[in-house]
Amino acid sequence: MKALGAAADPDTDDLDLAVRLLAATPTHEGRDPALLRRWAEAADAFGAALEPGPCRARIVERDDGLEELLLARYTSRPATVEICTDTVDRAETLIDELGWRSWYPVGSVRAAALAHESAHEHFHHKETRTALKEAIGHSALRLGRFRVLAHVAGAEEIAAHAYARTVCGLGRSPLLLTAALAAVVGAPGREN
Amino acid sequence: MGVVILLVMAAGVAAMLTRKLPTAFALVILAVVIAFVAGAPLTGKNSVVDTVLQEGAPALAATMIAIVLGSWLGKLLEETGVAATLVRKIVEFGGDRPVVVALGVLAVSALVGTVTGSAPAAMLAGLIGIPAMIAVGIPKVTAAGTILMGIAVGIPFELPLWQFFSTALELPVPTVRGFMVKLFPFALVAAVLYVFVESRRRGVEHTWSLKSVQDKPRSPNRRQRLGDAPWYALLTPAVPLILALGFELAIIPSMLAGVLYALVTTTRPREMNKRLLRTLYGGFEVAAPPIALFIAIGILLAAVKLPGAVDALEPLVKAASPQNAVLFVGVFTLLVPLCLYRGPLNVFGLGAGIAGVLISTGIYPAAVVLGMATSYNQVFGVADPTSTQTVWAAQYAGVSPQQVMVRTLPYVWAVALGGLCVTAASYL
Ligand SMILES: [Zn+2]
Repeated sequence: MKALGAAADPDTDDLDLAVRLLAATPTHEGRDPALLRRWAEAADAFGAALEPGPCRARIVERDDGLEELLLARYTSRPATVEICTDTVDRAETLIDELGWRSWYPVGSVRAAALAHESAHEHFHHKETRTALKEAIGHSALRLGRFRVLAHVAGAEEIAAHAYARTVCGLGRSPLLLTAALAAVVGAPGREN
Repeated sequence: MGVVILLVMAAGVAAMLTRKLPTAFALVILAVVIAFVAGAPLTGKNSVVDTVLQEGAPALAATMIAIVLGSWLGKLLEETGVAATLVRKIVEFGGDRPVVVALGVLAVSALVGTVTGSAPAAMLAGLIGIPAMIAVGIPKVTAAGTILMGIAVGIPFELPLWQFFSTALELPVPTVRGFMVKLFPFALVAAVLYVFVESRRRGVEHTWSLKSVQDKPRSPNRRQRLGDAPWYALLTPAVPLILALGFELAIIPSMLAGVLYALVTTTRPREMNKRLLRTLYGGFEVAAPPIALFIAIGILLAAVKLPGAVDALEPLVKAASPQNAVLFVGVFTLLVPLCLYRGPLNVFGLGAGIAGVLISTGIYPAAVVLGMATSYNQVFGVADPTSTQTVWAAQYAGVSPQQVMVRTLPYVWAVALGGLCVTAASYL
């Protein structure tokens, strides 16, 4: 078995992965890792508590995911979830190779992809977005008692992964699987 | 003789289009050949060596200084985190609504573009702006286009450009400024429309990418160590513009004031000297390509203004140039694509030569040529898949420059139409 690199080490906890995602999201350059950790924690808890709902978007399959380093994509107009079947298949075999079946049951990758993208649909509702901002509690502006809550880029993504983990009953965050996939399909910027 | 000159120009365009020669080199060779064909002597009055090369090369010196200052200011905005802070604040305030983020980034790239010129502005606003837009769900092509359309909003107020047109077309700065103010509403409306229409058409997208949890191989970034720039420092890009537009101060002092403002609002006195020199020298690197181009354009302008060239070209160009206002607008609107791909109407290529011919032969008043040149500039500044800012923004967003061209061209073509209408109505 190939070494997966630090990011996909199963000993890395899910929250570390979420922090890593935030740190790689633009606008968070140079932010305090402890702060990012608090945000990641809040976003994760928020996503895990999101009301499960059906995915109403149209589902389309494509098979160029490995090439594009993509597992799934959500587009709002029209509401469509694209599932990259080749990446999903590769993920399923990888789970077996790594002995991670207890975390990711058979068929759970596709289910997680659908759940993840339907979480994005959740966030189309203003109330959900506002609730996430409140959960994170970062202010863009504060003048005495008056404050404007800030949008935290990447938080929605962490919440979507937490939602997928919860509704699909995964043992670990889909982020761990993402990191492992990135390592084996040889995403640019890493050696192996 | 005129026909020979036109053939030489066509060959020059072919060399630039096929990338056989970098534009700046091609223009200099073109200038020398045109001068010889026009019967200029080797040395002396109206000669190849003394007039075209010696006097032509520094003809656009003021523009070059403005470019250096703009690049210097760009480096300062980068190093002090001003550009990054602006984008970060926009995302914090408007991230819930991608359209708001796009409009904010549009405004930043417009504002930054007015001082630094197009290519540095694309990088300054786009470096964080493009991934930030993608992070809030704006599709990649729309994100790249937003940066470029934003720059186009700033183009009418791009100070180095005022200097360029003023010197190259021999018009006073207030005339250039007066026309640019009329061109601005078209650019603004087109850009805002672009954001709204493209957002409606494409919506948002979110990807579950395999790259999301990777350690980015990040370039060592000074911003890592610096926090947000203070709020009053964020006004830096507006300082030169307010001075030049509001107080009608000359261009170079306005830009110097911007440099000073950025410095005192962000830098401790002890570190000022070091930072100033470092960013100034860094600015030269950014300014090198446009300066090389402006040296070449100065040489080309000197060549096409030689009496021999003017006499040879006048009858030909006259026959092809409509004087009727409606025809003028129609013909030159249809010719818009000729400014793309370093085509013959690109003002920062052969187009400068053509502009020079039109003025020196007296076919159009200089103000009309200004109107044409600036209208075309609005197009290729955004949509030309070979211009630095378009290539950079597209590639950085992960799409092809051609995709960006196709998406933005209808909007900027309409801007050119508007500019040509204003030109015909005001000056023909
Ligand atoms: Zn997502």
